[in-house]
Amino acid sequence: MNKKNYLLDLNNSKKPFIIYKSDKGFDLYTDFSKKIILNNNNIEKFINKNNRLRSPHKETDLFIGFFGYEILNNLIEVKIKKQKTINFPKGIFYKPETKIKLSNNLEYNKTRSLNANDLFKININKKSYKKIFDKFKKKIKSGETYQIKICTKYSNKSEINALDFFCRLVKSNMAPEAFMIKDKNYSIISCSPENLITKKKNFITTKPIAGTLKKTKKLNKNKALTFFRKNLKESKEHNMIVDMERNDLSKICKPGSVKILKKKIVEEYKDLYHYVSLIGGQLKNKVTSLEIIKAMMPGGSVIGCPKISTLNLLNKQEKQSRNIYTGSFGYLKFNGDMRFNIIIRAILNFKGRSEISVASGVVIDSNAAHEFDENYIKAKSLMDLYK
Amino acid sequence: MIYIIDHHDSFTQNVVHQFQNFDEVVCTNFNKINQNKLKKADIIVFSPGPGAPKDYPISSEVYKKFKGKKKIIGICLGFQQILHCENGKIIEQKKIYHGFQSKIKVTSKNSLFKRNSQFTVGRYHSLKLKEPFTAKNFEITMRCAISNTAMTIENNKEKIYGFQFHPESFLTENGNLLIKKILSA
Repeated sequence: MNKKNYLLDLNNSKKPFIIYKSDKGFDLYTDFSKKIILNNNNIEKFINKNNRLRSPHKETDLFIGFFGYEILNNLIEVKIKKQKTINFPKGIFYKPETKIKLSNNLEYNKTRSLNANDLFKININKKSYKKIFDKFKKKIKSGETYQIKICTKYSNKSEINALDFFCRLVKSNMAPEAFMIKDKNYSIISCSPENLITKKKNFITTKPIAGTLKKTKKLNKNKALTFFRKNLKESKEHNMIVDMERNDLSKICKPGSVKILKKKIVEEYKDLYHYVSLIGGQLKNKVTSLEIIKAMMPGGSVIGCPKISTLNLLNKQEKQSRNIYTGSFGYLKFNGDMRFNIIIRAILNFKGRSEISVASGVVIDSNAAHEFDENYIKAKSLMDLYK
Repeated sequence: MIYIIDHHDSFTQNVVHQFQNFDEVVCTNFNKINQNKLKKADIIVFSPGPGAPKDYPISSEVYKKFKGKKKIIGICLGFQQILHCENGKIIEQKKIYHGFQSKIKVTSKNSLFKRNSQFTVGRYHSLKLKEPFTAKNFEITMRCAISNTAMTIENNKEKIYGFQFHPESFLTENGNLLIKKILSA
């Protein structure tokens, strides 16, 4: 089968499909026999009923989809008061009947039509950002939070060709947790670099990123490592996340089994270096999928620390729903294995509107103007796709 | 059995795993305490957590009720909780330590640990003890090697111990050793 044409046909057919980065290339999932829209009443049952089947199993014995930010808060009993919303579903999962392996070189034949897209507007200007920033700094001084991530959102009116966007995005920003979903009334495109849960049998790992450095000609991997090690602010932020992830894993792992497998290393991507750690543990006997998800989500590195009080501070502040942002995308296999990322660096296109959310951290020694600009840089690579 | 009172922190489970090396552990949130189990516990541990001791009056009550009757250990906020109950003042500090690794020194000859020995520890605190501080049978036994901030208190008579730093953090070297010694005291 010619995969290039297959992709083109699939895209033209209007059939929903999902593409998710695999070790060697991408996996494409389609021919969905079930679609489950999650709400607070069905989520727990959904998560727990799908891990009864033991091997042997087919490659499509899984549910793939996403949990939004709000439903993950509600799952751990954190309430969000009424926000401005676009009524996007809180979570959707699909049961695929077809899985196709694709190579890293994602291409399909399409002549690009120029889109007349609206300019992106930001929901918080620099002045109000500074205000929120100063407010949170006070909360750090009084000890209510140690690190908190302020989210800003860019949006515009647009209709997009999701597959075209995704092919171009992974060409410029290949990321280990990249994915796209195309359904009839929405699409998501993301180059997430961050894995939150990899669970195989009784072993679970998480790989938080805290610290990002843009590549320059003068920089190499070793110099990047030296930069991170010497930079006290980056080190402190990273340390905090490592201890928090150790904590979250300890809720579901056997005592003494939680270990830092890779401690503060640098990973190289096309345009940047990330400061990452890999933490893993041996799951306790009889831990359910629901317990695993509640222990780990929403992923701490994109929220701040400590998780619950920081979530409460964020939810009191934010006027607009985060929708998919800082939720998780991935799959639950019928044998109980799972893989989930953290949804960041993502576009949500819904009802003729695109939104891109970004966040950066407030710790005691961060600077409002710098973080605000950092947010813009993070959003820019996605906004550039609209050109 | 060790009863850990959680102040909704993102480090408490690390504390639980550390203490599980030595004994059976029960851990609940501070507002969901199981009074029966608490009564049966040999040791009570106050966990780290956000905010200040005054935000947790329930934990202060537990402290006052069991002081002198059970061994009590406080970590970070828990350390401050003990000091708060002993009429110590907990204040904001100019320099804030979150995810910070620093050297501390044993400054007292009455400590369980050898005087002048040094430890490398992980710190997560916005607040600190205002000094001078005095309370019957209590002594500050370790201090930050640079800023001199109080890092541990010991009351070996009534078996009350507090750490301003985090023995359970991966930033703390020999954290298990510290806990083992306090538990066997």
